[in-house]
Parts: sequence; C-alpha cells; structure tokens
Amino acid sequence: MSRIGVFVCHCGENISRTVDVERVAAEIGKLPGVALATDYKYMCSDPGQGLLKKAVAEHKLDGLVVAACSPRMHEKTFRNAAKAAGLNPFLCEMANIREHCSWVHEDREEATAKAIDIVRLMVERVKKDKALQPITVPITKRALVIGGGIAGIQAALDIADCGHQVLLVEREPSIGGHMAQLSETFPTLDCSQCIMTPKMVDVANHPNIKLYTWSEIEHVDGYIGNFQVTIRKKARSVDMDKCTGCGICMAKCPQKNIKSKFDCGLGTRPAIYVPFPQAVPNTPVIDRENCTYFKSGKCGVCAKVCGPGAVDYDQQDELITEPVGAIVVATGFELYSIAEKPKGSSIKGYGEFGHGTIPDVIDGMTFERLASASGPTGGKILRPSDGREPKQVVFVQCVGSRAREKGISYCSKVCCMYTAKHTMLYKHKVHDGQAYVFFMDARTPGKSYDEFWRRAVEEEEAVYIRGMVSRLYQKGDKIVVMGSDVLVGVQVEIEADLVVLATAVQPRQGADSLAQKLGISYDTYNFYSEAHAKLKPVECATAGIYLAGACQGPKDIPDTVSQASAAAAKVMTLFSRDQLEREPIVARVNERNCVACFSCKKVCPYGAVEEKEIRDRQGNLIRVVAYVNPGVCGGCGTCQATCPSKSVELDGYTDEQVMAMIEAL
Amino acid sequence: MNNTAQKLETATPLDTSCYAAVTDAIRKEASRILTDGTVTAVVGYKAGRRAGTTMPAIVTDPAKATELIFSPACVNNLALYLTKAKKDVVKKGRVAIVAKGCDMRALAGLMGESQLKREEIFIIGVVCAGVKGSGAVNGEPLTTGNLARKCRECTVHTPEGADLTAGTLPSLPELTPVEAEEMARLDAMTPAERWAFWKEQFSRCVRCMACRQVCPFCYCEQCLCDKNRPQAVESTPRPAGNMAWHIVRAMHLAGRCAGCAECERVCPMDIPLNLLNRKMALEMKELYGFEAGLTPVEKGPLAEYKDNDDQSFIK
Repeated sequence: MSRIGVFVCHCGENISRTVDVERVAAEIGKLPGVALATDYKYMCSDPGQGLLKKAVAEHKLDGLVVAACSPRMHEKTFRNAAKAAGLNPFLCEMANIREHCSWVHEDREEATAKAIDIVRLMVERVKKDKALQPITVPITKRALVIGGGIAGIQAALDIADCGHQVLLVEREPSIGGHMAQLSETFPTLDCSQCIMTPKMVDVANHPNIKLYTWSEIEHVDGYIGNFQVTIRKKARSVDMDKCTGCGICMAKCPQKNIKSKFDCGLGTRPAIYVPFPQAVPNTPVIDRENCTYFKSGKCGVCAKVCGPGAVDYDQQDELITEPVGAIVVATGFELYSIAEKPKGSSIKGYGEFGHGTIPDVIDGMTFERLASASGPTGGKILRPSDGREPKQVVFVQCVGSRAREKGISYCSKVCCMYTAKHTMLYKHKVHDGQAYVFFMDARTPGKSYDEFWRRAVEEEEAVYIRGMVSRLYQKGDKIVVMGSDVLVGVQVEIEADLVVLATAVQPRQGADSLAQKLGISYDTYNFYSEAHAKLKPVECATAGIYLAGACQGPKDIPDTVSQASAAAAKVMTLFSRDQLEREPIVARVNERNCVACFSCKKVCPYGAVEEKEIRDRQGNLIRVVAYVNPGVCGGCGTCQATCPSKSVELDGYTDEQVMAMIEAL
Repeated sequence: MNNTAQKLETATPLDTSCYAAVTDAIRKEASRILTDGTVTAVVGYKAGRRAGTTMPAIVTDPAKATELIFSPACVNNLALYLTKAKKDVVKKGRVAIVAKGCDMRALAGLMGESQLKREEIFIIGVVCAGVKGSGAVNGEPLTTGNLARKCRECTVHTPEGADLTAGTLPSLPELTPVEAEEMARLDAMTPAERWAFWKEQFSRCVRCMACRQVCPFCYCEQCLCDKNRPQAVESTPRPAGNMAWHIVRAMHLAGRCAGCAECERVCPMDIPLNLLNRKMALEMKELYGFEAGLTPVEKGPLAEYKDNDDQSFIK
C-alpha cells in the first residue's frame, strides 16, 4: 500500500475563497493509500515547504500530491522540496485547484467537489508514479540571433564578448535596423548613426560573430542546447569574398530611380545597392525585380565595371544548416500604416486621414529621414510634395495606438517621446516654424524623459493640444487638420504645411510564421509572448529561445538594449554549463511489442525516433524496432497516442496512470 | 447477407475465361523464379480438399509449381502471410506473392508502414473478374448472383505495378453497387437509428477475433485489445466490450484499410464490417483527399498535420 501525503494549499485566499480546503483534505484523507492529508495557507512559502519535508520523514511518505496552483508555477519548487526530503522528485505531483478550479468557479459547494475530484485523480497518478532520473544532454555553445537591429547587435556582441560563437541573421542587405534610420535620439539628442555605426562595425570585426545578411530562417529543428537551424542565404548576386565595396557598380548602374526603402521612399537608389553608405557589410545586393539584366537579359554594366569580378548573376539561394544551443529572437517592429486594409482585417486604416494618399502627411520614420543629416534632403526639413520648407507642422500622436476602433488597443510607448523630439528637431532647423502636437496624454516615464518633454513644450515652444484629430484633407497646398482641444472645449482647425503621424508600433510582417518555425507563442497582434510577464520577461515558454527588443512589445532604445543584454545573460547562463539536465518525461519503447511500423517516427515533431536494430550475439539481425532518443524527446506524447500496439509509453504519463485517473473519476 | 453472395433474380454467368490463362501464367512464372533462385517461396493458392474450393499455399519446390491455381474461389488476401503476425509462415529470403488488385492495395499499405520492402517481394499480379461470395455453392460457376459484394464495385480488376501481370480482363457487366446502397441507407438514418443498427450487429459478436487474425493490417504481435494492464477493451463478448473492440478496429484501420473485406468474409456472425471500413475510407477521402491505392504512401493522412487540414470537426 502506498503512503501518500496530500498537501492542500489555501494560496492566501486565492483557493480557500471558493474551495473548502479543509474539507478537501478531510475527504482525500479517507482514500486508501493516503497516509496524510493536510492544508496550509502558503505551501510554497518556506514554512509550507518545511511542513512537506517534515511530513515525508515523520509519516514515511512515498509519494506527494500538492494541491495548489498550476504545475507551471510551482512544480519545480515542490519537486525540489521532495528531493531535499530524500524522495525522488518525480514522485511529487501537483493537483491544480487554482487555475483549474477556484479561479474559474464561484459556487463553493461545486468548486469544493471538483477540487476533491482533481486531487483524487492525482493521488491515483502518484500511486503509479515511478522514480525517474534526470537526463543530461550536451549543450552546443553557439547562439543564433535573429534580427540585426540594435537588439540583435547588442545581444550578439554581449554573447560574443563572453567567448561564445554567435550567428547573426538579418533579412535585409545590411544590419542596423530601424536605429540606423533615426536622426537623433531622445532624451539626449545624440546622433543615432554616431552611436550605432561603431557597434555595427564591432559586429563585422568580431572574431566570434558570423554574420548572415540578406538571409532568413528557413527551418528550426531540435531543442534547447541542440537546435539545428536552416538559414536561407538569399542570392545577393555579388560574391562577398571578391567585392571590395568600392561602389563603382552602384555609380554606373543605369537604373537610378528606385525608391529607397531605407529613406522611406523619399530618396532613390540604383538596382545594385547598399541600403545606406554606412552599411555593414558594405557589399551591394542586386534587386532582381528592378535590375535591367534580370528583367530583359541585357545590360550587365555592373559586371563589366567590377574590377574584382564580384558580380555573379547566376548566384542561387543557399541553404545552410548550423547547430546552435540557444536562440535570441530580435526581429523588431514596423510602423502601422494608415493605408486601406484588406477586407475582414482586424486592424483598420484611416480613411479620415486620406488612407495615405496626401503626400505631405507622413509618418514618424519618414520625418526621421528628413531630419537626418544622411537623409535624402541632407537634413533639411522639406515637404515631400514640392520641396518647400514647411512653416506649420502638425504632429498627431496615437495614430493606430490606443485606438480600439482601429483594432489596436495598446500604447506604442515611444511616440510621446519621439514626437517631442521631432518638435525640437523641427524648431532647431526651421527657426520661424511652429509645431503643433495633438495628443491624448504625454506618457514620459523614464530617466530624464519628462524633463525632455517639458523642454519641448516650455523652451522649444511646441504647442501641445490635448485632443484627437478627426479629419485631414488637402486644401490647395495646405492640409487642413480638424481636431478638438478638450481642455478648452473647442474645435480646432489648423492649416498645416506638413502633418506627421506618430503611427503605432506593430510586429514585423511574418512574425507569426517565424514564431511557428521556432515553436514560440505570440499574442493577437503577433508580438512574441514572454514566459512570464513579470518574472521571465526575456524567456519564451519554449526552452532555449529568448526575446529582445520590439518583437516582444513596443520599446525604446534603452529598453531594447537592456532586454538584449538580459537575453544575452540568459544565453550565457545556459552556456555556463557543459551539460543540461532535462526532465526525464520522455517516451520509452517496449521493444518486445514494437512492430516497427514507425508511425511514431512519422508523427514525432522533434525527430526523436530512430530505427534500432536488435541483433543476437552472432550479429544476426533479429528485428528492427523504434527507439526514442531521450535527449531529443520533448515529452509531448504524440507517439504514445499514435502507436497502434501501445508499445510507446511516456514516463510520468503512462497509459496505466491515465486509465487509473479516469477510473478514479 | 453481407459478404454472402447476393441471390439476385437476374443472376447471369460471368465470363471466367481469364482464370485458366492466369493459372497457366502463375505456374510458369513460379517455376521459373523458384528455379533460377529469384525467390525462395511463392505464396499462392492451390486446390482445396473439396472440389471447387481453394486454399492458400506456399510453394518452395519448382516441381510443385503446377499445384498453384487461380479461380473465382481464390478469396483469401495472401498479403496476410507476409506480415509479422504470421512471421513463421514464410521463411527468410525474397518471396513471391500472387496478388489480386485488392490484395495489392494491402501490399502497398504494408510497404508504406515499413512492414515490407518492395525489393524483398516479387509480385505476381493477377487479373481478376471477381471472386465468389461466402454463400456460393462449391463448384458452381461465377455469376452476377454469387459474386462477392466487394467485387461488384471493384476498381482494380487489373493490378498495376506488379513484377508480372497475368491474364487479360474479359468484359464485365455493370453491376448494382449493393454495398454502396447499403451505406447510403445507413447514412440516411438518424444517429439514434444507426446506433441501434450497430448495437444490434455488435451484440452478435462472439469475440472470436477472426476479423483481426485475417486482417493484413492487424500485424501487431501484441494487440492492445489483449492487454490487461491497463485493460483498454473488455475481452469478454459483452455489449460494451464488443462496441469498444469494433470501434477500435475501425479507427485503427482508418486511412489504412485496403478494402479486401476479409474481415467481413471470415466473420462467423455475419457482421457487415466492411461497411465500417468503407465509411472510414469515405471520411478519409472527404477530409484529406486520401484513398488507399496501389502506391505506398509513407505518411498516411492521420500521421501528418497540414496547415490546410479540415478543422471543422472541432466545434
């Protein structure tokens, strides 16, 4: 007969408010095989764990059930306590009577009855639990960083500085991301390029960083410590080893008027190009869609003028598989556009702002390019439509953000600060100009942030109007901005020369498909989800994958850099050990019954099932059976469900245990 | 009823001219491949003890190749004898097998499930105008009346992909799809009526397990239904256990069943098991566009997840 100890937690009042914990303990105490059933206010606290440890010794317990919160919360805690008490940790299970019961029910009677059922099931399961030993697997001490913006660069540099190899994958031709596009940065107004480009060069020169630009993640296999990543190196059409970066190809390319994505469509670039002069690597890419040679088969000027003969029109996409132990996802953001959205889309455009058809209505990033010394106007603020200097500029905040009717309810966090910055940059460049800002609230939490905003209002004379803009329309060469000033209680109409919209920060297009490749979760907006909002802000729920920057939620540069360094620290913590201890919740094959249909191999999402030959002493093949590699097995149990002869069992979740649980109901 | 021949009033004899030619071809080929060592054994049919009947036979001696025959009485699906469940039937080495179109689907299925390797077997495909249903009198000629139900809707009279295909197909008449009509009748029932129908059918089951023993896809050496720790299916012939067994059987065959209907033929209680098999096959076709065919499929529809899989069953 088992001697099981059951500990029912009040969780303060979280459980005891709706569940009669004392009755649960009393009822469970009557079950055969239960040697002790008791309740306590906070089982996870030190005295709570002490109670559990003491009980193991006093009552000679051989199995434990802690009826409390979700095992995701505290399974480790109690298994460690069981271990400290001299019990195999896998003989301790949690019965979730909080998330599965007290939090979702109101009726005390019914909730108590359900809690008793839940605990009873777990008692049956523990009766059939077996002592399991942890599995150790080697760690590949090599990290993959996806995204070469400031987040990816910071994470890559930190990990590489610690002596570990890093692969940095960037989908654009150069690293740098959005920060390379910015003019000056708040709250100190230092030049973005000046602080960014040295870091980019550090990445290029770092002996531990392998850079894959113009590349994308094709496929990810494996698990923490042992990922296999397939990278698609897109055809650059330029041999990176031969190219010296002299730029003559770009100068001679007859296609000159392709809108530059880097300059938000304001500037132009040739068909063979680097996105900006400080690009890393300084190796051009041929934009095959716009290249005359790729379109018509004629031209070939770049190949003719290239001294080292680096231009290679026949280059093909290359698939490279690399082993890595940890992954940092830093894919960043993109700006919401007010353009018309496809029908049925949950996010709507702004018809009242002309759906982006008014040329002098631009977004914040376009303004950054106008204000940037390296931008298409050389740092002069000029209207895109006629190149005139705007004398009245209206900035509109919260376009898309905090706009439930448009489909986005979150705050984009950075716009209040960058709009304040924009008014200053504008004032510095156009002394007789006037900036107006329509805002809902000025949100400036951050070191020196509020001071910065007040400077914009008080010293740089930006006129802040609290209220929303209802309509924008072109009138002659002016844009009429119709809004309200809710503090004064009047309607406002301003004839502006230029309107700058602080549009919402959204995850990158395709963020969801990358998440699916990586097996990480994401929210309704496609921002990647951290494992715990407060206590695990950089880890994904998928072990070995970490988040950095705006792909997890809108962030400014200081926050992004902090998170990137935090993610790097997590990677280094993982790499500080040579072997990883894994939970032994893995599948095991009964080789006597396995008929080698390999259904398990076909369904295994981890690629953990191998074919194993059983031979006699003379080496004659007796039979072939399935074998689950415990290092690779993720413990999902799909093989167990699939096996037609029930020859695969998941330790800790055997058929016998599950059937016993069902029968106990 | 069921696999039993349909005693239709308009029973007309079928053209059985191909069987003699097929028999000749099998004998010749079996003798050749046994003599030259291509194979160590030929799994085929020979005459049964009673006139007009046949039985499965394994020939290893080229001199005995003349014992092999093919006739409308060759009902068995011989693919069964190549599976692990019957591991001692065929000794080691490459073997040849006489296979009708329906049997070849089973062979293809077994290949897809890693149970057979194409290069390890030699397939003597036979052209088949149909075999007799189980109620037919020994020795009576094959007619539209005593034809097995499955043969009335056969789409694989001439097998493809065999190492040798013996015989040429005579012209065959259009026949009423008796089984399809029966399926339509069941489909038209309300769920309660259908439940009652199957409850009645399964109540007769004596759990002899002949359906399992004859099925080429029930090749597990240890059937989960025989396990007792934990016991998934009650093993005595009582209603709950009977229902559980037949549901397990049908579900385990979904996306795999080759449609040979051997389970129904051997059932001593005349349970129309092939109706269940065909219903599952129909579901597979409607949900995943999958049909058991003559080419091995490595990942069956139920072993694979695709983004565009039908999700409508989750409501």
